Amino acid sequence: MTPAPPRLAVALLLWRLSSDWRDFVVGDLEEEFHARADASPAAARRWFWSQTIRCLLRPPRARVQAMPPSGDSRVLSTLSDFRLALRVLGRAPSFSLAVVTVLALGIGANIAIFSIVNAVLFRPLPFHDSERLVRVFHVPPQSTFPGITRFSVSPANFYDWQRDAHSFEKMAIYGGARFTLTGAGNPESLLATAVGDGFFDVVGAHAALGRVFLPEEDSPARGHVVILSNGFWKSHFGGSRDAIGRTMTLDGESYAIVGVMPASFTNAAWGATAQPLWVPIALTAADRAVRDNHNDQVVARLEPGVDVAQAQAEMDAISKRLEAAYPKENAGWGANVIGLRELIVGNIRLPLLVLLAAVALVLLIACANAGNLLFTRALSRRKEIAIRAALGAGRWRVFQQLLVESLLLALVGGAAGVFIARAGLRAAATLLANQIPRAEEITVDGRVLLFATGISLVTGIIAGALPALRAGTADLNDALKEGGRADGAVGVRTRRMLIACEVALSLMLLTGAGLMGRTLLALSHVDAGFDPHDVLTFRVALPRGQYATTAQMLAFRDGVLQRLRAQPGVQAAGTIDNLPLQGGSVQPIVLEGHAELSTRDQPTVSVRKISPGYLRAMNIPILRGRDVADSDSEVLLVSRSAAKLLWGDADPIGRRVTLPLEAKGIPKEVIGITGEVKLSSLTADTPPATVYELTRQEKQYGGFAFAIRTIVPPMTVAPSATAIVHDIDPNRPIQQVQTMNDIIDQTLASQRFSALLLAIFAASALALASVGIYSVLSYIVSGRRREIGIRAALGAGTRDVLRLILVEGLTPTAIGIAAGLAGALAAGKLVEGLVYGVSAWDPITLGGVSLVLLAVSILASVIPARRAARLDPVIALRD
Amino acid sequence: MWFNRRASVQLGDFEQLVLLGVLRLGDEAYGAAIRQEIHARSRRDVSINAVYTTLDRLERKGLVRSWTGAPTAHRGARRRKFYEVRPSGIAAIRHAYHTLRTLADGLERQLESR
Repeated sequence: MTPAPPRLAVALLLWRLSSDWRDFVVGDLEEEFHARADASPAAARRWFWSQTIRCLLRPPRARVQAMPPSGDSRVLSTLSDFRLALRVLGRAPSFSLAVVTVLALGIGANIAIFSIVNAVLFRPLPFHDSERLVRVFHVPPQSTFPGITRFSVSPANFYDWQRDAHSFEKMAIYGGARFTLTGAGNPESLLATAVGDGFFDVVGAHAALGRVFLPEEDSPARGHVVILSNGFWKSHFGGSRDAIGRTMTLDGESYAIVGVMPASFTNAAWGATAQPLWVPIALTAADRAVRDNHNDQVVARLEPGVDVAQAQAEMDAISKRLEAAYPKENAGWGANVIGLRELIVGNIRLPLLVLLAAVALVLLIACANAGNLLFTRALSRRKEIAIRAALGAGRWRVFQQLLVESLLLALVGGAAGVFIARAGLRAAATLLANQIPRAEEITVDGRVLLFATGISLVTGIIAGALPALRAGTADLNDALKEGGRADGAVGVRTRRMLIACEVALSLMLLTGAGLMGRTLLALSHVDAGFDPHDVLTFRVALPRGQYATTAQMLAFRDGVLQRLRAQPGVQAAGTIDNLPLQGGSVQPIVLEGHAELSTRDQPTVSVRKISPGYLRAMNIPILRGRDVADSDSEVLLVSRSAAKLLWGDADPIGRRVTLPLEAKGIPKEVIGITGEVKLSSLTADTPPATVYELTRQEKQYGGFAFAIRTIVPPMTVAPSATAIVHDIDPNRPIQQVQTMNDIIDQTLASQRFSALLLAIFAASALALASVGIYSVLSYIVSGRRREIGIRAALGAGTRDVLRLILVEGLTPTAIGIAAGLAGALAAGKLVEGLVYGVSAWDPITLGGVSLVLLAVSILASVIPARRAARLDPVIALRD
Repeated sequence: MWFNRRASVQLGDFEQLVLLGVLRLGDEAYGAAIRQEIHARSRRDVSINAVYTTLDRLERKGLVRSWTGAPTAHRGARRRKFYEVRPSGIAAIRHAYHTLRTLADGLERQLESR
């Protein structure tokens, strides 16, 4: 059997060659291959490949396409434009690759950010008819909670709302709960959502296995049932169907498993669907009657056709009635209805839109660079274009042809961009998951693909229009006369404009990145009122089942603290109910000798229950008086602002107060004044008025957060801390082991995310702009060789030439910087809400990035300028 | 004048090789044959695309003309493209040959000994 030529090579040839040549070239090669294969098949194959590669690199030219006859339809001419564009671009692979790469990066970045925006802001939540889901909050009295518009709800008010409001199809109460799971290996601490009757109906969810709760299970007597999340069911029951009907031991009590939710019901964006377990909230009659303790959440489904504003109006009216009916508890307490999606993504909207704007700027710069390449190429084809024009192609026709070429490049770039975006999103998945709600929902869907197509077309038009317009209107005569000779510097004005645009856009991006960087810096140096360095923290939850009395809880705590303090490397150790930046209680406070007022007029303070050693562990300064000691009971330290709020200029030490929300309401004596601590947010302007309470009588909820100041790296103490807790109670898991610095870091996550992305965008913008400046200047220098040669021959020195070219490069840069500064000032309003500790119009940042851009453009100009300066006048003039 | 311009057509080095190849092969002048002829006589293993690119250029200059042969089985049922030198082509190659001869006149000994 005679060997056949390599099939791949033949296929490549058939693909690459135009139909004019395909038969002849491939036939000839096959023919000679057969002749050679008789002597040595291997050598013949090698020869065939070498011929193929040479053909692929430089195929015989296609016959010049005749212009389509006049009168044919626009569609046909566009089609032929596309075919011609394919061939023209195929003949210049490196040029095409350069343009496609630049555009693919720009478009890809846009697709990636748009995918995030699409999933987070545009797509409805993954619940049935989710646009009708709303949350209902209290609005607390502004006199005592200035600026706070959303507050947890008290049970009694909820049940009144549920009875009276008609805007909602259904309304349900829910709250968080924490359990310790025992009886299955190591004890495990689990978060759960405790839901009231109707919760699953409101959300519109059904169990994947078993059932959701029955109405009668929302009662203490029958409430020992549990529904599992899909993930928990798989990890703890291996996805076995007979999990239904089995029991789990939670906080030492037995709960029957009645259902398993589908995987789609677990959504980290909303707390009520983020936990592994659901249990009935099962409030007692006494719990349901509590009107002045606000700890629960409310979700509701609007009646069809009712919007949020209508529901809000009804809730306002109901709140007024409740205020009148219960003036003591409800004075000043309103209600706030807000769409569930708005609540979840409202805070991320501005940062995301700023990022979208920033990445659009990157694309504009990519367009300017691609436009520059296209322009250079259009100029080198002036002769071809002129001939087409001479043969009767109208201006529009030529414009159209060039535009089709750039559109084609942009579409290829867009297709590559989709892959870049997907790869980028996958690589950033964990980063995103920590910083953006609904991150797990980010995918490239139909809308993203539509966006990709649209943005590619727009990109093709933006990048291609200017070059096509300029080339299409080039003077016929000049072009034909000049055709054979070297280019000369043509279209310099257009190129300068492109440079100015790139510099202006880069400056705006750099400003954004600079401002976010400074914000981050300012935030990490914010004085939070405590010293976060060298502090180890962790939580231990104490369920009511095993620790029924406060005395038992305190015995556990004091035992752990005592042994912790004996550890080498530990300087101080203490506990608090909620660490700074992790939420906590706000309560009314009553001064001794004053009557308790209605809640509207009663001052409120943040209340933290601490143990001795906590203030020392956190380095919170005691300004007056003394720290709490082991021998103390029922004493308080107040922050300076709390002292001012409650007693004005009078000395608070020795005075007594009560906290009416605490079960026993025992009076407590003030023994000291502490410094201010930012409890809720680093960016808050004024730290909350705070009291630190040491109590041995009042109930302790949930457990303790430990804070340990070390003189060794804090994490090295973690193993011994775990061992101590385990030693004292083997059934107590230790959770959230982290340093205080970690906790601060987590609160900066969204700023860090914005800063990181802006920095990446700004760096790519800078790189693109410097490449742009460099290539344009190189082009100008090569076009002005003769002129420079003449100048040199007439006695211009190296420095004169250097200056000439540097000025050539820096003039458009200067114009771009001016325009960019104007743009950055105008965009300041947009980023104003995102920056902290620095003005959106910060002169230092603006000046700094201007200098950076100037430096970069000088660097980019130096090489072409030196090349020009080294030009030998003799050679330059001879060419 | 058109005849003046024709007479002054300058041939490149490779164009001369290809034209001579076509001339030598007569009725059998198609791509592969021309390539092999050049290879055999000048030891230059040129690529087929270069040959066709040059032939195409020569045709556009009016120095050769081409026609397409019938498909043949031993080359995968693909057609051959045959070429023939036109009178203007003969004039051009003659011109080049004379130029070379004139310039080499008297240098035969040096050139032959190499």
